[in-house]
Amino acid sequence: MCETGEKCDSGNDNVPMSEQDTWKDVAPISQDDGANTICPIAYTDEYREMMGYLRAVMSKCEVSQRALDLTSRVIVVNPGHYTVWVYRKKLVEELGSNIENELDWVTEISEKHHKNYQLWHYREALVSRLLDPKAVSEMTEEQLVVHPVIRRELFFTSSAIESDSKNFHAWSYRQWLVRTYGVWEQELGFIDTMINEDVRNNSAWNQRYFVLMGDGRGRPTKDAGSPMEGSLADSEIDYATDMIKLAPNNESPWTYIVGLLVRHAPAKLYTVLLPKLKELAADGSEYAAAMKTTPFYWSALVDIYEQQAKDLPDQADDLLAQASEVCDVLATDHDPMRNKYWEFRKDQLVPNI
Amino acid sequence: MASKLAVDKHVRYFRYCLDMLPSDAAAFDAIRMTLAHLCLAGLAGLGQVEAALSAARRREMVEWIYAQQIPPTATNAAHRGFRGGSLFGPHELCAHAAANSGNVAATYSALCSLLILGDDLARVDRSAIIGALRRLQLDSGTFAPHPDTTESDPRFIFCACAISAILGDWSGVDTDAVTRYIVACCSFDGGLTQAPFQESHGGHLYCCIASLALMGRLDALPDRSRTLRWAVFRQNDGYQGRMNKAPDACYSFWVGASVEMLGGHGLVDADAVSRFLLQCESPYGGIAKYPGTKPDPLHAALGVVGYAFCYPDEFPRMAPELLLPESIASRLLHAHHADEVSSTGTGSELDESDKSDSN
Repeated sequence: MCETGEKCDSGNDNVPMSEQDTWKDVAPISQDDGANTICPIAYTDEYREMMGYLRAVMSKCEVSQRALDLTSRVIVVNPGHYTVWVYRKKLVEELGSNIENELDWVTEISEKHHKNYQLWHYREALVSRLLDPKAVSEMTEEQLVVHPVIRRELFFTSSAIESDSKNFHAWSYRQWLVRTYGVWEQELGFIDTMINEDVRNNSAWNQRYFVLMGDGRGRPTKDAGSPMEGSLADSEIDYATDMIKLAPNNESPWTYIVGLLVRHAPAKLYTVLLPKLKELAADGSEYAAAMKTTPFYWSALVDIYEQQAKDLPDQADDLLAQASEVCDVLATDHDPMRNKYWEFRKDQLVPNI
Repeated sequence: MASKLAVDKHVRYFRYCLDMLPSDAAAFDAIRMTLAHLCLAGLAGLGQVEAALSAARRREMVEWIYAQQIPPTATNAAHRGFRGGSLFGPHELCAHAAANSGNVAATYSALCSLLILGDDLARVDRSAIIGALRRLQLDSGTFAPHPDTTESDPRFIFCACAISAILGDWSGVDTDAVTRYIVACCSFDGGLTQAPFQESHGGHLYCCIASLALMGRLDALPDRSRTLRWAVFRQNDGYQGRMNKAPDACYSFWVGASVEMLGGHGLVDADAVSRFLLQCESPYGGIAKYPGTKPDPLHAALGVVGYAFCYPDEFPRMAPELLLPESIASRLLHAHHADEVSSTGTGSELDESDKSDSN
């Protein structure tokens, strides 16, 4: 393990650094917090000593294996220490450390610090060094997806997401991975698995939007309002309404389908989604009854009528009157917590001149 | 309904945190400046800064904050500003600029803390701070917190905008580029994200909306009505940070303040927010993330300020854009009016894109 650096001192953990041979030539630098301090921390002796040696090596930018080992110990206790990450990155580069081992170390500490921003950014930097995104343009998606580096990262992010299914950092990192290397093919399957496990997992719903509207070829669309193919819009309406049937009081599919259509296929809101929702609401089943008690169903109707009024000016008065009535129903019956919002929303419903 | 917040206990909690944190707070050693700002903002939100801290103690705190200002060396122009704590001992012992670096989050917190403590910022090296900002903005428009990192997102955009607003100097920020980045972070669901295509998030909502508000550019939002809707739908008694997540005390500020800035004052159920925050109150002072968990300075401060939004007649008004008392913020923001902001950028180009976005 000593070659990789990280565990060199593990046998000495109980021996103060000042008594270790490795550190005998270094004079630690004490913290200078001044006489008047704010939010001082009751440091343990071990932490105080460790930081003294860290200051000593960092202040002269010592490039050594012992410095690298020390940064490992500091980061485990204090992963938010922003300059230690910079220092570690420099040490790994200049010592020519094995990047695979470095990635293993990051994976190991990820379990404890999976919500730390720096750690995920560092992982991104390491993976970019292992497999230069600029160097893969000749490779096909089929080749890339079985490349050991990418396979491992897909596996790592799947595991992180499976153990914490709404981990913001893990999903963000997975987006970076998929987009940077252009490996999109597995994503819809992965997202389906996650949505099937928990239909309320909004991170998975968002990833669905990213995969479908991010162009699927590694070139996320720049134009936020670009139209989508009609057949795709139809199949997404089917998918979202199927999920709504499973759990009508789940905000995610409602927001997903309305948001998607408003942006990319607004006419589908009233030509396809509206009849479908009316049909579901009228079919007398248990979910139909449940659906009509959720704020999401009624709120979707407001958005749909508003869009329809915008597109069909000759029917605008009627449609806006319907939207306005729905706002009243929301304020009094289905979303009383937001009653003032619905009154405000109602006032916003004016004909588009 | 009258406030039921245990003000005295929270004052004591913030004072304890300012005086000493337990050993497990070592994880926050590099962001003590942020903790200080939070505790002071919590006291300010309760209107208790002067009552809780003697004039002598306030002067001491001002000295500690100034001691964290990075002095110039031959190579550290991008590292200037304030550091997050006294991590590195005396500045002169650190020959290596990257080891003794400021960052925009600490600089923002230092400036706010100084203002809350009554300092006039006379000893702030303004040109050094603005110079560092200029070096930390990326081509995409977003900001890195400090040099030599791949980290960058709206948190640091917000810090850069807040610093510029406080110092009344926007020459370190390309406001057009910031605006373009934020517009690209407007999600299809109306929320705002850390980067394009990521999941909408209450914390990034705050950073983006506050940045636009400080630049006087809220009109650049492509669909403001949908963004307001996303924000008010985060209320589930308390506020959640993302869809289908449990309510969390800190979002009473992040989302609550965003609703205020978006013109939604009075549109949410303030009684429900305050009831939730009271459930998060610790019997020993402080407010926790969730009911029944341990309080921390972040959730305590943001919970208190979020609570104060619910009772505007009983607590000092806090400026939603800056986490500063309105009395201080309005002085700053009025002194450097938004007109000056737009005149620093190449305004005409943005006006064009504004029009096409809203059509």
